[in-house]
Amino acid sequence: MSKTLAVLILALAVGGVFAYGFFSDTPSLQPEREVASRPIQDPTNGYSSSDSCQACHPGQFASWHASYHHTMTQLATAESIVASFDGVQVNQVPGHPMRLERRGQELWAELDDPDWNGDGAAPPRVTRQVVMTTGSHHQQIYWYATGHGRLLGQLPAIRLVADNRWIPRRSAVMHPPNIPLVSESGSWNAVCVSCHTTQGKTALSTPWGTEPLFSQRIDTSATEFGVACESCHGPASGHIRANSSPARRYALHLMSRADSTMVQPLRLDARRSSEVCGQCHGLWEYYDEAAERDANVNGLPYRPGDVLTTTRFIVQPSTNSETPMMKRLLSEDVNFVRDIFWSDGMVRATGREYNGLIDSPCYKNAKDDQHRLTCFSCHSMHRTPTDQRTDAAWADDQLKPEALGNGACLTCHSAIAERLTAHTHHGPESSGSSCYNCHMPYTTYGLLKTIRSHQISSPSVQASLETGRPNGCNLCHLDKTHQWTADYLQRWYNTPQPASMSEDDRTASAALVALLKGDAGQRAIIAQAFGSPDAQRASGTNWMAPYVSLLLNDSYDAVRYIAARSLKTLPGFENFAFDFVGSENERAGNQRRALGMWRDLRDRQGRRGDPALLFNADGSFIADRIDRLSNQRNNRRVFYRE
Amino acid sequence: MTPADYSQRHLRIGWWWLLVFAGLGLILETLHGFKVGFYLNVSNETRRLMWRLAHAHGTLLGAINILFGLTLRAGYDAGFRDLRTISVSLLGASILLPLGFFAGGIQFYSGDPGLGILVVPVGAVLLLAALFFIASGLKNGPALPKDRPKNR
Repeated sequence: MSKTLAVLILALAVGGVFAYGFFSDTPSLQPEREVASRPIQDPTNGYSSSDSCQACHPGQFASWHASYHHTMTQLATAESIVASFDGVQVNQVPGHPMRLERRGQELWAELDDPDWNGDGAAPPRVTRQVVMTTGSHHQQIYWYATGHGRLLGQLPAIRLVADNRWIPRRSAVMHPPNIPLVSESGSWNAVCVSCHTTQGKTALSTPWGTEPLFSQRIDTSATEFGVACESCHGPASGHIRANSSPARRYALHLMSRADSTMVQPLRLDARRSSEVCGQCHGLWEYYDEAAERDANVNGLPYRPGDVLTTTRFIVQPSTNSETPMMKRLLSEDVNFVRDIFWSDGMVRATGREYNGLIDSPCYKNAKDDQHRLTCFSCHSMHRTPTDQRTDAAWADDQLKPEALGNGACLTCHSAIAERLTAHTHHGPESSGSSCYNCHMPYTTYGLLKTIRSHQISSPSVQASLETGRPNGCNLCHLDKTHQWTADYLQRWYNTPQPASMSEDDRTASAALVALLKGDAGQRAIIAQAFGSPDAQRASGTNWMAPYVSLLLNDSYDAVRYIAARSLKTLPGFENFAFDFVGSENERAGNQRRALGMWRDLRDRQGRRGDPALLFNADGSFIADRIDRLSNQRNNRRVFYRE
Repeated sequence: MTPADYSQRHLRIGWWWLLVFAGLGLILETLHGFKVGFYLNVSNETRRLMWRLAHAHGTLLGAINILFGLTLRAGYDAGFRDLRTISVSLLGASILLPLGFFAGGIQFYSGDPGLGILVVPVGAVLLLAALFFIASGLKNGPALPKDRPKNR
């Protein structure tokens, strides 16, 4: 072989390798495009998908991959599902049995056709391939291919992860009783796609709700299923293109300069950075039909770093309840605000934490941007290398390590740190000295549990009386009255006494008044509080069971579920068996059983002859008062948009 | 320096290189064994890649040095027009390639190695040059030993 030939071969080999690297693109999406029966992942509009991010940002990719943002929407596979499909019969939805099976790698369900048009005596049985899932943390919802374009339908039962059981889909949300099961076909395409994917596009041929779904062409797609990198950092193709140059990358590294081709939410000002989260964790509406039509075709126009309100109306009753936009929304649905906000404008449904944040004094009244509370003051979207927790522990709420305790607040409120017990009037290790418990109590509901209010506030009996929202004091001191709380707040913080207080508010446990008189949302909050170890320590447990058991036959499934969960935390009830979706007779029977068990236990556990707990001195119930309060129950329709 | 001196140099370097970089392999395995986050955490993926490359290249270059030393010792030296250039190139590659990879993993920028990586291309060019001169020199060299007359 001549020297020239050797050089030529070497040059060709090297050139070939470089040419392949330069011209080859990301793996072909052709197979995904060929899928016709479900929404597809198809990056457009400058988006690229997280596949492109991993090579340069392996640590960030890994922590995102371990998060529940990643698994918010998944293709239904043997690996992604949390339930068994191995020839399983699911009878948990009364009158709507399902049979689930695997066919090779595919998952299939036989069910009553949710889109039955009413012809014939009963809905026909249909067999559909389950193609996608929503959620993996608390619940998992299953979507099947309807066979009409990319339109998805929803299985009538969902999987409750913690309980490892199927429950009716409707029982998983705060949903008014006695409303018939309706088809959820199209919900994913039109609603879920906007926040449970990255840059989703509904792509119905006419806007959602204007024409029957099955007469439309449906071509739903997203850049990526799940909430991925570009949801928070914006479209990445320009960033990827620019940074294919090592010279550019090293110039940025060495000069520690921000990369202008990509949005880093932590470098945005406080308002803009919180809006990145608020795009999904806030309640919003389109300004008009034109905006909705445009989003239907092109996806939502908001990009991280934009001013959120430029392209959408943030529903915030405390500031915009008198605007024409809000009035129009209320004229279309009178419950639009009432279902999600307390009467003073504080949000009460989960998934709307941004609405709580922007009404918080730490956000509104910050002296400068550096001191303004943002989502990232407490949360971190990527587990830091110094975080000693496991991925799973971090992913539960994505809190920073320093935000797990009082550090979240005391960074700014350092003066209080020096005199913590003087401020809280509780022991330093007491749950009463936790900033969160008083200023972010569990007054927001969603996903069969309560979560902390994300609107920072101070305990106020006046607010509790006006709105019905329990305050932090009475959520722990379940056996105390509003008057008791008002007295302490006055003594400790000079908080004025409420202008007026009813006899019940002065003399009966605030928790019991809310439990007996409150609406379903209030009952759920109180039911959960009864299961709180802190509340049980502060209030004693030997009086709780009869009241919690009252909720075992509540008309709302969600309230019954939470009540049963709390009941099992009480001494003697650990093994109490209860099916919250059982028949009314079964539930009533279990309620009586719980009451009987409590009567057997109370002689051992001691009686509370406390009138505030609606007991006579001998421990018997003050029945007429309980009946009176029960008869005053707020039975308004409660339907949270969780 | 005579061909024998060069042979001696590269055999010595080769075996030392094998010792050092096989030793590095043992250290890396130990880091695996004790699950040391400094090396194994996903956020340190770049360091892991760089040090694995340092281990692999160092070991391989040790073997190449030995092969070159043996080649000279076997009498394939006559065709090498500039033995010094080959030797210096191979030596430079043997130092720069593993050193560059190792240094690139000490301090790095997420998915990008540290600045030490800049010496790797230089080392790669030196290695290619040395290999080219060895390969082409062999073609122009003397007859294979088996064709030489036996001196008995």
